Amino acid sequence: MSGEEYLEATIDKFVFAVKKNYLYDEQGLWVAVENGVARVGVTDYLQQKSGDVAFVNLPEPETEVKRGQELGSIETIKADVSINSPVSGTIRERNEELDVRPELVNEDPYGQGWLVLIETTGFESDREELVTAEEYLPVMKAQAEEARSNDE
Amino acid sequence: MVDLPKKKVGIIACSGEEIPEGTISRVAARMVLEELSPEDTVTLCLPLFLAGDENERAFARFYPTIAVDGCEKLCAKRATERYSGPVSGSIVVDELLEGRGLSPGRSRRELDEEGQRSAEVIAEEIADQVGRLLGRKRAIEAVPVVATTAPATAGGTCCGPSVPVTQVRIGGAPVGLVALEPIFEQFCEQGRLDGAGLGEELLKTVKLYNYVPDAAEELHKAAILEEYRKFCRGKGK
Amino acid sequence: MSDNDDDRVLIIPCSGIGRAFGSVGREATYMVVEEMRPGEADTLCLSLLTMGDEEAKQRVRNHQVITVDGCPKACAEVNVTSAGGRSAANFKVVDTYREHRELKVPSVLNLGEPGRKLSRFLAEKVAAAVDAIKVKEG
Repeated sequence: MSGEEYLEATIDKFVFAVKKNYLYDEQGLWVAVENGVARVGVTDYLQQKSGDVAFVNLPEPETEVKRGQELGSIETIKADVSINSPVSGTIRERNEELDVRPELVNEDPYGQGWLVLIETTGFESDREELVTAEEYLPVMKAQAEEARSNDE
Repeated sequence: MVDLPKKKVGIIACSGEEIPEGTISRVAARMVLEELSPEDTVTLCLPLFLAGDENERAFARFYPTIAVDGCEKLCAKRATERYSGPVSGSIVVDELLEGRGLSPGRSRRELDEEGQRSAEVIAEEIADQVGRLLGRKRAIEAVPVVATTAPATAGGTCCGPSVPVTQVRIGGAPVGLVALEPIFEQFCEQGRLDGAGLGEELLKTVKLYNYVPDAAEELHKAAILEEYRKFCRGKGK
Repeated sequence: MSDNDDDRVLIIPCSGIGRAFGSVGREATYMVVEEMRPGEADTLCLSLLTMGDEEAKQRVRNHQVITVDGCPKACAEVNVTSAGGRSAANFKVVDTYREHRELKVPSVLNLGEPGRKLSRFLAEKVAAAVDAIKVKEG
């Protein structure tokens, strides 16, 4: 994850990438919206901080979700990380590949490691709670510096 | 507001599997990271380092790194020198313990009482070296290189990717200086365009991230000041 | 190292220091070598091998090797291969964890009861691999 598509921040020996043109929330989720459908995933920072993903728990299609409510969780050896939905809507698709290859969340968090597609409702309102990559970078950096952990 | 990278010390332990001293190196490194100098240290993962991870190697290239080896084979030290550069400190567990009349214990799997005591002694030695490398007594609180009390502004990027290095001609030879551009950004933002002592201050800040031999200080100061002026002109200042 | 280890299987963990998985793999290795299959298995310093120690390289050439990796970066496997060795089997701690998801390991230095249990589950698999290699060798 390097090159012009990404912004980067370095904390000690760790480099965290933030993909441009996506939107972000403070917990470390990204959102890419197209034609009213939001693709949602975890940031490079969140996946590095969480550790090697062993399980991903996601809602089934047709499930209604509200912004701020629990969407699912990722399980690593050290913790179960709850994920709250960054937008409201209905689950259109969950990334079934993660049932077989949860490590995709670590290997390609902005690509093949996506979590769900959500058919959004009221996105104009949800959009106000999201920030651009440029705005998210210093937020993430502050979180990383505070968490500052070498292992997990 | 530009944030300069905080200077930290890397610790690379051999974790040798065959002898208790290898386990002691591992335990001691973690003790320093978790308890003795948590704000000032980073542990580097030797297997990852050897497997070619560029982040681990870059850190050891540009920041002071202490190698902690179980025995005279010096795997951590040699690996660092091979892939990054000279180490700033080297601790050989079996030698140090012998010198102090201590035993590594009998178990390599889980340190027994003697092994645990020895790990604590090694950890203290590492922490002392960390303090010396940072030019102070062992500190629990982080000392920021430059006060960054201003809130982070949107759109700012940190010193990425990885560690920023700029090549500067000094005394006719190219020299890589870490963090030069962020330092210049910061001075420029503060409006430090000229004035007595500017060269001295620039050099002092550069020295926080780079080793500058005493004999080469004047040459470095002159070259850095010239680069800084070019930098500011490029910014229209 | 043993003088009389002609047919011992070498078990080489990554011993990654940044994650608890590295410690689990290391502990599992010792369980097999010291407890479950003493005399049939041994370990070797991965760093020594990777740094080109001739004796270590000789041992890897002359023995069957099992690598135990803490994470998908697979440094034990990568480093053994780069040193000219070849593993007969590779285990990743995360795969064993997936079978025992309730066992959360507290930290790198403190495996705790869950970490030791996880190590044991992994060690049993590695020990079975040692047995399989021995059977194959006849």
